[in-house]
Amino acid sequence: MTSRGMWRHGRSFVISLLVLIAAVGPQVCPAQNSAGSPAAEKIRLGEQMYREGILPSGEPLRAYVKGDIPVPGTAFSCVSCHLRSGLGSVEGGVFTPPTNGDKLFQPFQLLFKGLEQKYFPLPPRRPAYTDATLAEVIRSGATPTGGTLNDVMPRYLLEDEDMALLLSYLKGLSSHYSPGVSATTLHFATVITDEVSPEERTAMLAPLEQYIAIKNNQARAYRAPGNKSRQMAENMLVSKELATRTLTLSRWILKGSPETWRKQLEEYNRKDPVFALLGGVSSGEWKPIHDFSEANRIPCLFPITNLPVISETDWYTLYPSKGYYQEGEAAARYLHTDGVLPQGAAVVQIVRDSPEGRALAAGFRQTWLDSGNGAPLTVLLKAGQTVTKEILRKATGKKNVAVVMVWDGPECVPALQSLVTAGKRPLSLFVSARYLGEKLWTLPEQIRPFTYISYPYTFALSVTYSAMGNAKLQEDQRQALGQADVTIKNHAQEIASLDTTLTQIVTMALMDLRGNYYRDNFFDVIGMIADQPSSVFGRLSFGPGQRYASKGCYIVQLTKGPRPELVKKSGWVIH
Amino acid sequence: MPKNTLISLFAFFLLGLMPALEPAGAADAKKYQRTIEAYAIPDVVLVNQNGTKVRLREVLKSDKPIIVDFIFGTCTTICPILSVGYANLQQKLGANSRSVHLVSISIDPENDTPKVMRDYLKRYRAKPGWDFLTGSRSDIDKVMYAFNAYIPNKMSHYPLTLIRSPRDGKWIRIFGLLSSSEFMNECQKVGIR
Repeated sequence: MTSRGMWRHGRSFVISLLVLIAAVGPQVCPAQNSAGSPAAEKIRLGEQMYREGILPSGEPLRAYVKGDIPVPGTAFSCVSCHLRSGLGSVEGGVFTPPTNGDKLFQPFQLLFKGLEQKYFPLPPRRPAYTDATLAEVIRSGATPTGGTLNDVMPRYLLEDEDMALLLSYLKGLSSHYSPGVSATTLHFATVITDEVSPEERTAMLAPLEQYIAIKNNQARAYRAPGNKSRQMAENMLVSKELATRTLTLSRWILKGSPETWRKQLEEYNRKDPVFALLGGVSSGEWKPIHDFSEANRIPCLFPITNLPVISETDWYTLYPSKGYYQEGEAAARYLHTDGVLPQGAAVVQIVRDSPEGRALAAGFRQTWLDSGNGAPLTVLLKAGQTVTKEILRKATGKKNVAVVMVWDGPECVPALQSLVTAGKRPLSLFVSARYLGEKLWTLPEQIRPFTYISYPYTFALSVTYSAMGNAKLQEDQRQALGQADVTIKNHAQEIASLDTTLTQIVTMALMDLRGNYYRDNFFDVIGMIADQPSSVFGRLSFGPGQRYASKGCYIVQLTKGPRPELVKKSGWVIH
Repeated sequence: MPKNTLISLFAFFLLGLMPALEPAGAADAKKYQRTIEAYAIPDVVLVNQNGTKVRLREVLKSDKPIIVDFIFGTCTTICPILSVGYANLQQKLGANSRSVHLVSISIDPENDTPKVMRDYLKRYRAKPGWDFLTGSRSDIDKVMYAFNAYIPNKMSHYPLTLIRSPRDGKWIRIFGLLSSSEFMNECQKVGIR
């Protein structure tokens, strides 16, 4: 990231002009109410109304939108537009003002760098809300200044008791800065597990630490009085103090067995609380770290792992991809949509009993079942057991088996040759490019015509930047594309490339926070950023609540000969 | 350059952007924009919420009135309002809900898998007659271009409702969010009762 690129981000700049930037002093997180206490229960019920649109009675909230369209709270609730942090959004030409505790109860006016912008019609000035005026505006849309809210804001029919719960929740929502934030510093950490090789550790750390060093060098230079660049930066940045704010990054190294990681993480966090976790790398399953983030509500952005937790509801870890699971998904989708499987034919998965093998098999199985197919048969390979001719013969000999998945590493390759000669040849064989590694290129020639490979990387040497459409690219965008346009030769380079993308996302997120240093706001704003190019995955996309940035995986085949090429058999995303 | 001059420049820049934004915090005096259009539908095969492949030209060449919008499964502001409009229309039509074909086309085709689309429709209590379509990004781009609805980034989309009359195949193009009565009024013009 160049220093020039760091400050150039048009969208957040525009948004920033529209949004109040409050001069809030850094504060500590409110004391946590112990779970199960009456106060905690009150917060839980308020949160349930805000996020899920469910009343304490279990019934959905009732509301009307656009004057006369009835909306059940479950279709959309406060969180839909005001987002989890309550800081609001700008989407589809609709500006949703903040409704967090810090903003609601003080006067609202359009400020830019502390100066009121009086000549614009929006957002409207209003005095600080009181309980009574806030309840009124939620019910009827009538504002304290005698105006009416836009009718895209639902009018909620709430009883007094329920209203009190909601107001109480809003008062506590993003009312104090999150931990890891001081007047001058934003504190982050990155998690590294100790089995990661020095080369891969460096690949993850170098882009991140270099990025932070550049930002901090700028901040240091800007602190000098009268610095011209600082004046420019302060005007360009949406929160003036971001120009001189320092970023810090701790290394949280986890040692020993994964069962002990959680305790180590809690201890790091107790001594050294952070705003968020950036990057991180582990060759093992990310689950202990994921669970820590979830329990402590600490965002973890772009950990380098191919063994993430697969969840549709967890919130606090945003992964580059679903890793191995995603390859299994792609195999299932390809097989399902390809339509070559004869009626009643069965699928057998030969699965290495390893995190990688299990993730591939789980991705296939879940997606296969979701598509309305019967459960696949499974043969588990125990530790030390290798795929043999006999195992393959037994698997293909099972009743109606037409397709074999071999979710195993490079050691399975020699035995695969026997599929040509031993017993019944399957209609197709599926393997994972990532799990086979370089052995992929040595797949026996005779099996290549019926072997399908899940390949989770981009083909394009020249990545597309579709967020720009067909528009002419500016020079700095060309440079950004140039940086992403590299050929990945090994896992360390893959890590370094993903981490460089991470620094781009952090740059955008820091600006989009607009000085609102709340952990939930960090992921709220990342959910709003445009798609990004990646030399590993081609395209990374985000979106509210989306937690796996790369969405695709090719199914490919190998050509004949000693220097085979990959041939695409599917699109990047298979539906 | 003095700081105040810079701020004034930004303020001037901002002024130019004002008409594009509609504050949720202010009364809405504006009505929606309505035009009559003819569109050439691209010959693409999309996938519906059941995972079934459908040829878009055939879907949109119906004797029934058709309504098309562009949404995505994790959208925050615009799509939920468009979708409650669809749900409410189906509710009002009651037993006649299949007299109109409601079609939502994904603008986030990589994330909107059939499962995501099924879950979305369930959330809005969709009845038969409302389909959610996804596809490859290039096919979705073709569809957006064809309806003059192309957006390079899903987060900058805008509310659009397209109503096709079976009588002449022309489309009522509505830019903006409609109330229930406004939507019903437009629907009646193409024979939806």
